Amino acid sequence: MYRREFLKRMLSNAAGAGAIGPGLVSQGLVGQGFGGLALASMLHDDTSAATGGVLSSPHHPAKAKRVVQLFMAGAASHLDLWDHKPMLEKYHGQDSDFGEPVEAFQNGLGPWMKSPFKFAAYGQSGKMISDVVAPLGECVDDIAFVHNMVGKTGVHSQATYLQATGFQRPGFPGMGSWISYALGSENQNLPTFVVLPDHRGFASNGPKNWGAAFLPASAQGTAIFPQRDNPIEDLTPKADYVTSAADEAGLEMLQRINQRFTQQRPGDSRLQARIRSYEMAAAMQMSAPEALDLSGEPAHIMKLYGLDRAGATYPKEINPAEETEYFGRKCLIARRLLERGVRFVQIWSGNDNGFPRRNWDSHENIQRDHGPLASGMAVGAAALIKDLKQRGMLEDTIVLWTTEFGRMPSSQGGVGRDHNPYVFTNWLCGGGFKGGTSYGPSDQWGYKPLERDRPTQVYDIHASILHQLGIDHTKLTVRHDGIDRRLTDVHGHVINDIIA
Amino acid sequence: MMDFFKLGVLLLCVAGFAMKSVAADDQFFEQEVAPILQQRCLSCHNENESKGDFSLHSAARALEDDYIVAGDAAGSHLLQVVTPDDGKAEMPKDGSPLTAEQIAVLTKWIDQGADWPTDFVLTEAVVSDFDWWSYRPLQSVAVPTFDDPESRFWVKTPVDAFVLRQLQQRGLTASPPADRRTLIRRLSYDLIGLPPTPAEVQAFCESDDPAAYEKLVDRLLESKHYGERWARHWLDVVKYADTCGYDKDKLRHNAWPYRDYVIRSLNQDKPYGQFIQEQIAGDALFPGQPDGIIGLGFLAAGPWDFIGHVEVSEAKIDGKVARNLDRDDMVCNTINTFCSITIQCARCHNHKFDPITQEHYYSLQSVFAAVDRAERAYDLDPQIEQQRRDLEAQLAKLTKQQKQLEADIKSLGGNRLQELTTTVASLQSQQAVQKGVQFGYHSTITNNQNTEKWVEVVLPAPQTVGKIVLRPCHDDYADIGSGFGFPIRYRVEVTSDETDHETTQWLMVTNRSESDQPNPALGPVVLTCDSLPHPVRRIRVTATRLAERRNDYIFAISELQAYQDSDAAIDSHEGNLAQGAKVRSFDSIQAAPRWGRKNLVDGHWPSAGDSDVQQALAEAIAERDQLLAKIETKARVAKRDQLKAAIKNARENRDKLPRGKMVYAAATHFKAQGNFKPTNGTPRPIHVLLRGDVQQQGTPVAPGVLPFSSTDPWQYNDLPDEAARRVAVAQWLTHEDHPLVWRSIVNRIWQYHFGKGIVETPNDFGRMGAEPTHPLLLDYLARYFLEHGQSMKSLHRMIVTSNTYQQSSAHREAMAQQDQSNRYLWRMNRRRLSAEEIRDSIFVASGSLNRSMGGPGYYLFALEKTAHSPHYEYHKFDPADKTTHRRSIYRFIARSQPDPWMTTLDCADSSQSTPRRNETLTALQALSLLNNRFNLYMAQQMAKKVASDASDLPSQVDLAYLQIAQRQPDLESRQEMIAYAREHGLANLCRYLFNFSEFVYLD
Repeated sequence: MYRREFLKRMLSNAAGAGAIGPGLVSQGLVGQGFGGLALASMLHDDTSAATGGVLSSPHHPAKAKRVVQLFMAGAASHLDLWDHKPMLEKYHGQDSDFGEPVEAFQNGLGPWMKSPFKFAAYGQSGKMISDVVAPLGECVDDIAFVHNMVGKTGVHSQATYLQATGFQRPGFPGMGSWISYALGSENQNLPTFVVLPDHRGFASNGPKNWGAAFLPASAQGTAIFPQRDNPIEDLTPKADYVTSAADEAGLEMLQRINQRFTQQRPGDSRLQARIRSYEMAAAMQMSAPEALDLSGEPAHIMKLYGLDRAGATYPKEINPAEETEYFGRKCLIARRLLERGVRFVQIWSGNDNGFPRRNWDSHENIQRDHGPLASGMAVGAAALIKDLKQRGMLEDTIVLWTTEFGRMPSSQGGVGRDHNPYVFTNWLCGGGFKGGTSYGPSDQWGYKPLERDRPTQVYDIHASILHQLGIDHTKLTVRHDGIDRRLTDVHGHVINDIIA
Repeated sequence: MMDFFKLGVLLLCVAGFAMKSVAADDQFFEQEVAPILQQRCLSCHNENESKGDFSLHSAARALEDDYIVAGDAAGSHLLQVVTPDDGKAEMPKDGSPLTAEQIAVLTKWIDQGADWPTDFVLTEAVVSDFDWWSYRPLQSVAVPTFDDPESRFWVKTPVDAFVLRQLQQRGLTASPPADRRTLIRRLSYDLIGLPPTPAEVQAFCESDDPAAYEKLVDRLLESKHYGERWARHWLDVVKYADTCGYDKDKLRHNAWPYRDYVIRSLNQDKPYGQFIQEQIAGDALFPGQPDGIIGLGFLAAGPWDFIGHVEVSEAKIDGKVARNLDRDDMVCNTINTFCSITIQCARCHNHKFDPITQEHYYSLQSVFAAVDRAERAYDLDPQIEQQRRDLEAQLAKLTKQQKQLEADIKSLGGNRLQELTTTVASLQSQQAVQKGVQFGYHSTITNNQNTEKWVEVVLPAPQTVGKIVLRPCHDDYADIGSGFGFPIRYRVEVTSDETDHETTQWLMVTNRSESDQPNPALGPVVLTCDSLPHPVRRIRVTATRLAERRNDYIFAISELQAYQDSDAAIDSHEGNLAQGAKVRSFDSIQAAPRWGRKNLVDGHWPSAGDSDVQQALAEAIAERDQLLAKIETKARVAKRDQLKAAIKNARENRDKLPRGKMVYAAATHFKAQGNFKPTNGTPRPIHVLLRGDVQQQGTPVAPGVLPFSSTDPWQYNDLPDEAARRVAVAQWLTHEDHPLVWRSIVNRIWQYHFGKGIVETPNDFGRMGAEPTHPLLLDYLARYFLEHGQSMKSLHRMIVTSNTYQQSSAHREAMAQQDQSNRYLWRMNRRRLSAEEIRDSIFVASGSLNRSMGGPGYYLFALEKTAHSPHYEYHKFDPADKTTHRRSIYRFIARSQPDPWMTTLDCADSSQSTPRRNETLTALQALSLLNNRFNLYMAQQMAKKVASDASDLPSQVDLAYLQIAQRQPDLESRQEMIAYAREHGLANLCRYLFNFSEFVYLD
């Protein structure tokens, strides 16, 4: 409790000294700033806490305020989850014929292979989805499926970069970084952009998928590991000699001495901003543990997210119950963060390509690996959607389900599927997207878009999400090494057909 | 610029419009219509790519269908698709709609008859205007002079004269000099990245030597720590890291010699031109010198996609994409770093602002078309290098003689020998075969004959092996029959280890990978190996050139047998150690019952049957051998044996030479890994790729560079040798007339001293970059640098001894009113310490810094799961680990998983060139400096040291403060700190000292 009081005192002290307030904002430009971009970054950092991001007003009225991105690492199969293909059931086991030469990543041109999972129709829209994602059946009327996504490569790393950052090579900011940079946070006591990695390990490219790259460090995704001592890196001191009294008195001393240093150096707004950053840090120390603490959630909510088996133990083999617990916990934490004003939450399902597989790269066996992963994901995702909806948050929260590419309609000789960068599925929910729609069908096999020259690309998804957030994707630019960089590079169209 | 191109050149092709006489109507088309079509339509509807079968290349193409109906704009499909409806138009597909004015122009043009001069063609827009400050030659600039004594007094170096002239022109005045403690602190961090010791501060502050400052500068420039500080700047620009990045983020165990090379080169004050040349073509320009090879670490410094190279073949689209992006990184690293020009956009289209075309860009890719990133040896002993070169030369000569001899024999044998060779082959294929349903082991099928594949037998226990037998397969597929899938080149190796680990050694039983081997048909391939030094656990056959199937390639063997005794009967299962053993392979089609790994050791293999055929075959072989014996006179046989022995001898001697140490660098010869194979120096053919798409190859390009004027030659049309290409570029870059290179480096150095360059965009001197604030000073410094041995230390000296540099950083409101961002340097810029400086200073303050230099990077993480995708677990790191208490430049940098503490403090992202670091302030930064376990541990160390160095608490506090601020605290702060330390202990105080603004800022 001491922290809360301390913080209150500190904030009032600082305000009394005229340290915080609108005055600081305008001073951001004065003083020892370095011109150009760096100045802009500093200005951003000075002001983000108070006003949000660089976008002082939206380009057009926003329909959504925040985003949660569910990223299935390893390439989740559209054919076994959302994109029902009766032709594969009919021609199962027969030699595949794509009508053209196909380059497979491995040896994925075996016979046609139907999904090992049954499909059924759900909702008013009658959307056919597979048994392993049945929990999402109750949500399909809120979901807009995009079935004609195309990528550029079947290499995991490049494809993951492409979906996460809009570029297929390292060095570019993630979508969450761009959005944080543009809009800032609604809660200065929590990071603007939070990432919940798969606890078993990072997906391809690791933290570079959510790095700020050339944007200010404040736009970077902050990874939270709820199971660790310090769920946010360095949130609290772990040393015997640091007591709460030493911490409290130390921070007060620090602020006073830094304030004196600052007063002797007028005209340098950075020094004041630095003092303020310690206030924000203290506030984050209080807010973050509270946001991550699920103990106050009622039983029916825990059950909704599949978290009603406290203390359960799990077998070594991949299994639905364990996957449900992992993914559900991240989804519930995401909801709590979104509720508290976090702008962008990214949840990862699946780690790197180690063995045994704990990601969606089911070359060997769709049923064995996609089954449990999808069941767990569907319970968590459905709970998140329903929970946001019952709190009235779904209308201004965008949920994006994505992956790096799809999987082939043919087998690899066994019961697994090879990479298919030629078509895959994304879906969007909430935030003004039109539920109950299925946009841009794939062809009869699920091999390529039905209309090959009218595919959807990641740029279009990004442009549409920015659009709903009140951002014109062509106008959110940052000059870096002589190039005006955008999340959507030189591409992107808002997909009007899936916007309500 | 012309004279230094030794080789033939092509003139710059100024694309755009073919010229012709111009009538008034034509002018309307050329000046009004053509630019719209060119800018908005042409990228998809051009000569090479005509989407929707519509091209705007020429009148003939544009008007052939009904897209444009002359005289009827309303009826022209073109107008329909570009006219927006509700703000959206069908075309351009990937961009905003045309403006109303543009549509009006098109409408007018069509209505007036769509006149398009017949020989007028549209090509992609090119910037042909070379008139830009950075492209102009370096000027000879006179140092400004001053009449008034005050100015003359202030001007200490030419830097001051240029700066003062600008200040005066703008009604600004310089600031007084900073105090001595501030100066020594500023200078120390700036030149060596470390704080001065309290004793150094005291000596400098109390010195009455008028040259004390200059002596301090000299001392710091001579310090070994100078290179450690300034190499960090360089490594930021070139994207250095110790892992590959991308998927898996594999370790580069030998990247560090390049990092040490940069430190060493800077400490030696190596002329910049040499520094450049070593990094582009050091192997060719400085043979026998280790730095010539280590410097090539520059080309390999950036990210590399393991999967895209190793797992995907170069024949596949994804493989081509990976290699295209890899060359792109080399081209951009070279041009961004040395020329400060952005070229990356020309991979997909002509540069929109600078005179750089796609052809220029791909010509530069062609320069690097033979190199990859891999480990290569650099020998430290020039004598050994010489021996190696001598032996290589000798080998080349002997091999040539051997080839000549074989050719002689063949021609002497005449037609009969030719016939017999054919007969033998034909009979071999006619042998009636006896075989079971189990054919053998069969790899997966590939399109690339040179894919390396292996299969191995794991013996149940280590055994002595004296003989290995390989049995070929038989399959009628594609009428191949005997010897189906038997590799054309291969090697057989053994090892005593059951599984691979770092020390695993493979011993060669036979190496048949250097020349194509005749197909053995169904004959057993018997390899004796009775002199093996160790017992054998695994026997591996590696196919290095695969057998053709039908337009594709495979590797198949029916059986592998192994016997202890080299005399054992090979048709007997008795004593076959391999029978029923475990089999592993690179890959396998596993198509039971015919093909499978276990079939390799199942005791079944095909054998030839028909006795007539056998008889005929034996006769043909006998006759052939007789004929050969006649041709092969004693002299020839002796000669052949002698050559063979000499070659073997030379090879052995070469292979016995110490291989030297390894560096991760640009390489043309290295050990293949999966689909990642060396070019062995043969450049890959490079084409212009339309829109950067590997599937849309345009014209092939010769190697080249960038022109600086419309008449500047830029292409080398006669450079087949890959090293010569890099040499040409290295020489181009280091020519003294190069307008970019010298300006680029002096601007970088200036920027690191002042926090801001004379040109504020250090990687972009093009039209999208900033223009110099002090253009004359920039040229003066560039010329000075060139004329003073290209010595960085001389340049540092000139800059830091200036009064400009020694100014106070204090704010002056009147000046700020006019020049808020201090563009004209009316004061020094205050700056925050970099992540490395903070970390290194914490070591110094706590007395923990180990100043040893160089060597492999230390880990600031626990390294786990290296076999597949390494995990870099920073939260499991132990800050008490003494091996890590070294300067931060020596830490191991994981590219995809960068150190969170360093990243929070704005450390460079090694995936992008970082010519200048961001300086941000975040709450996470505060948390890092307060709570990171490194800070917590070092605070304790510092408290221990202070407690042992001073006796009472007040003096302990003074000492601690001195360590972080290099001065005495003011009275008020001192009392607060003493009171705090009394209550909570010194360790807690030290923890907070690391957070003082006074510690992290330099006035």
